[in-house]
Amino acid sequence: MTDVLRIALTHFTTAIRERVTLFWFLVFPVFLLVLLALIFGNIGDEGEIHFEIGLINRDAPGGAVDFAAIVEETFERLAELGEDDTEPLFTLHRPDAEDDLDTFVEDELSALRRGRRAAVLVIPSGFGATVLDAIVSGDAPSSELSVYMTDSNVASQMASEIVAQILAEVDREILVRGGRYDPAIAIASEEIWLGGTGDETPYIDFVLPGIILMGFFVNGLFGVPGAILFNRDRKVLRRYWVTPLSVPRYLAGFSIGHLALCALQFALLYVLGRYALGAGVSFATLPAALLLVLSAATFLAFGFLIASLARTANAGMAVANILNMPMMFLSGLFFPIAGLPLVLRLIVYANPVSYLAQGLRSTLGVEASVFSLPLIVGVPLGWIVLSTVIASTRLKWDVER
Amino acid sequence: MTDDVLLRVFDLVKHYGDVHAVDGISFDVPAASVFTLLGPNGAGKTTTLEILEGIREPDSGEIGIFGVRVHRITRPIKQRIGVLLQDGGFEPYLKVREILHLFASFFEHPLHVNDVLQRVALADKAGAFVRTLSGGQLQRLALGAALINDPELVFLDEPTTGLDPQARRNMWSIVTDLRERGKTIILTTHYMEEAEALSDSVCIMDHGTIIAEGTPRELTHAFGEETMVEFRIRELAEQGLAELADCGKEYRVDGGAVTVETEDLPATMESLFAWSRRQDVPLDSLIVRQPNLEDVFLSLTGRRLRE
Amino acid sequence: MAILFTFLFPLVFILVFGFLMGDIGDVSRATMGLFASSDLDREALDAAIAAAGTMQIVSFSDRTEIEEAVTAREVDFALIWDGARIDFLYDAARVQENAAYAQVASGIVTDFNLRRQGAEPPIRIDRIDVGETSSASWFSLVLPGILAFSVLSAGLNAVSGHLTAMKERNVLDRLVVTPMRPVLLLIAIALLRLAIVFISTLITLFVGILLFGLRYDVDWLRYTVCVLCGAFGMMGFGTIIALLVRRPSSASNIAHAGSMLMLFLAGVYFPIEFMPAFLRGLSEAMPLTHMANALRYAMGVIDMSEVEFWAINASLVGLALLLFPVLARYVVRPLRR
Repeated sequence: MTDVLRIALTHFTTAIRERVTLFWFLVFPVFLLVLLALIFGNIGDEGEIHFEIGLINRDAPGGAVDFAAIVEETFERLAELGEDDTEPLFTLHRPDAEDDLDTFVEDELSALRRGRRAAVLVIPSGFGATVLDAIVSGDAPSSELSVYMTDSNVASQMASEIVAQILAEVDREILVRGGRYDPAIAIASEEIWLGGTGDETPYIDFVLPGIILMGFFVNGLFGVPGAILFNRDRKVLRRYWVTPLSVPRYLAGFSIGHLALCALQFALLYVLGRYALGAGVSFATLPAALLLVLSAATFLAFGFLIASLARTANAGMAVANILNMPMMFLSGLFFPIAGLPLVLRLIVYANPVSYLAQGLRSTLGVEASVFSLPLIVGVPLGWIVLSTVIASTRLKWDVER
Repeated sequence: MTDDVLLRVFDLVKHYGDVHAVDGISFDVPAASVFTLLGPNGAGKTTTLEILEGIREPDSGEIGIFGVRVHRITRPIKQRIGVLLQDGGFEPYLKVREILHLFASFFEHPLHVNDVLQRVALADKAGAFVRTLSGGQLQRLALGAALINDPELVFLDEPTTGLDPQARRNMWSIVTDLRERGKTIILTTHYMEEAEALSDSVCIMDHGTIIAEGTPRELTHAFGEETMVEFRIRELAEQGLAELADCGKEYRVDGGAVTVETEDLPATMESLFAWSRRQDVPLDSLIVRQPNLEDVFLSLTGRRLRE
Repeated sequence: MAILFTFLFPLVFILVFGFLMGDIGDVSRATMGLFASSDLDREALDAAIAAAGTMQIVSFSDRTEIEEAVTAREVDFALIWDGARIDFLYDAARVQENAAYAQVASGIVTDFNLRRQGAEPPIRIDRIDVGETSSASWFSLVLPGILAFSVLSAGLNAVSGHLTAMKERNVLDRLVVTPMRPVLLLIAIALLRLAIVFISTLITLFVGILLFGLRYDVDWLRYTVCVLCGAFGMMGFGTIIALLVRRPSSASNIAHAGSMLMLFLAGVYFPIEFMPAFLRGLSEAMPLTHMANALRYAMGVIDMSEVEFWAINASLVGLALLLFPVLARYVVRPLRR
């Protein structure tokens, strides 16, 4: 085997065998992919989200229609196990027959404040009469159903939104039965998804390219300087330079090995995303493949840049750690980047990851890109050139003798 | 260049500012021999070797090697030499066999990896990870990497420093074996015994220059027909020690060790016994020996080879 | 280097996340585009929109214009009314936010339909916020989580990192042969690290308050208790890791990896309620989850029973005290090869 290929194989093999590297560039992206898909992919889905709700009915039963009971029953249904034993939307906490209602409400509110409940519903006494009144007269009801929540808590916000929606449905039912509302003449609404496939983009299709890119990014940012600097400091490279092996050939082999590692990351994440998590995006197009290669190459060059800026391996890892977060998160990979202050937006514009992420997603048909094609290709290429120039002048291939 | 000289160095110079690491040295290395650069740390041996290995550039001077004269070692030349560095690492997560395959790929005509493993006695460790090797095994692996291209000329920079006596002897027998096979070896060391045991010719270096050269025998015989008498004593006053001057040609004291040079052994022995009775000081661990390279270096520089 | 990290890392964290996370899930600051080509039922529509919340409404006079505004993200989503149907336009790529907008949308439709037929919803809801802080955003809950994380990693790293590195480089062995007892040595190291992490949390906190206008009601006693107990407790965990691994250098890697995993699972970034059931259980079992909650309580963001607060901190300290003598023996023990 030629020297270049042997070096590529060496780089690949050592990365796989080193447990630390293996964790950060394989295990961690996989973990993140699965976690994000499980969490964000399921917001709004049946059986995946769950809230603890307190429900107190202070209304005395009686009257022609027990509206309070209707409300309670609606929530009870939503607290039952779904088909296939999927977890219900709510777990209800209701007072027993002998509980003092005032105390129970206080306890529930206490629990709400401590984050043990997402919301607490209190149906006031006289509720049924009020509702009946409202239906008959067509005016606004004179009493309200209290929904206690915590505004600073996203889960509580969401729970209260869902409760509001459910009650709106109950409203409609009551009005329909009371003859005040005719669903047949209701206005229909449509959801239209702009950009992408024209349909709602599944979350997994949105996040899979991002995680793949993140995997390449971590590999380049940490793996490349790590390998080079540790080998230089341990004088492994010195043994190579007394042989006919030249630095360019070493770099060629190293780069091929790096690309092979990226290919492994891609394969693993893609198979997982496609067959276990149901992703539909296809990377089998030329533009997508080219963007993947461009991304891997950009981060490889970036890794060399970092290696050339640090004097020791530990310094290199420190630099990589500091750059890691801003570059990864200020890029639109995971979070929307609208509405950032100027300083941070400048980082976004300078960051090659921003362009690669947009480019990849738009090539895959997931979203329309806000950056033009020349920028998508040009900015990463610019970074490759800059990194290569700086690294080739600054990178020392042997420690001081 | 004559046929039996494989390497010739012409006036090699390497300065680092005020430090004259290599200050204009020249020597010849005959083919199929072991040539040793002997000297204390900082003498310039490793710098010289690194220039000859092609990883350091000389300020001036030329190198005649494999029939051509060059200013620096080129890649084609590197195909034909083998280098054992003074210190260097290997990828810890590779196996012994994989390391040798890697180095083999750098050369146009490498040997079979299994043959090299046999030659450096690492065949049973072929599948072991580098991290699990002992110091001696690592050094043999490095030697294997240096020999993978079946080089005509082999550089060994301090090959046994830090090794235990058994490992050292193993290395010596590998070196002698290489010479039997017709290889030319350039060795640096600060161990006198090593230089004496292995070398066909020795250059003694100090402060960047060559202060003596020749075979080990030639160098020690420059002393003439002298014999050295060594013994150990406990504390003794200056005046008592000064009387040793009358016992032989010269004497020196180093801590508790006394060395007396003499051209007339019987007379010296008599005066020493008399001196011992007079001073009431026993002569512990008394030995009589031939002069060695350490004595040569000491007489030339007034310092020891090893601090 | 490590010190630089302790200070720099959480700062960068909150700088990046403060701006990014500020608006997730916060529909009240959303912008909706509106294009009504018909004046039919306008009152009902406007009333329904007004009732939906404090969104900003931007009007358009052209379908193409409004579509472009959505894809260019000038508006978050849009409503088009042509007299017969309501269309809602979404940017397909805004996967994480669209769920919230869709909820608002369906609320508008329901409300609109009711009003259109002159039907008042007979059930009215009164949303009452019982939260502790008045201007709380999700980020004000996140920040204590980040502080808890920096306490956790400082504590972990003091042992599985700093101490293990010293062990590997045999620095510990040299220190141990001095007349100082190992326990005192440990206490000295621990106190130094404690001081550093405490100061770093304060810096991070103040930066957060300054930059993002967060408001906290910090009970300094409880805050200090949280930081100290958390750091100590985590040194205990670090000891467990150091004892279990073969090579000291692996300890810091495992600690680092574990803390990153914990960061995602402990409800710092997203609420635990959003996780599938099996992950929720895992999350409850993690020390970071409870450390973060204790700190949130100390900073006045959530409520917690006193018993729970002190129980959390006591168990952290208890663990540390239990393991301290073990740690002392580890320091003295010869390096296993």
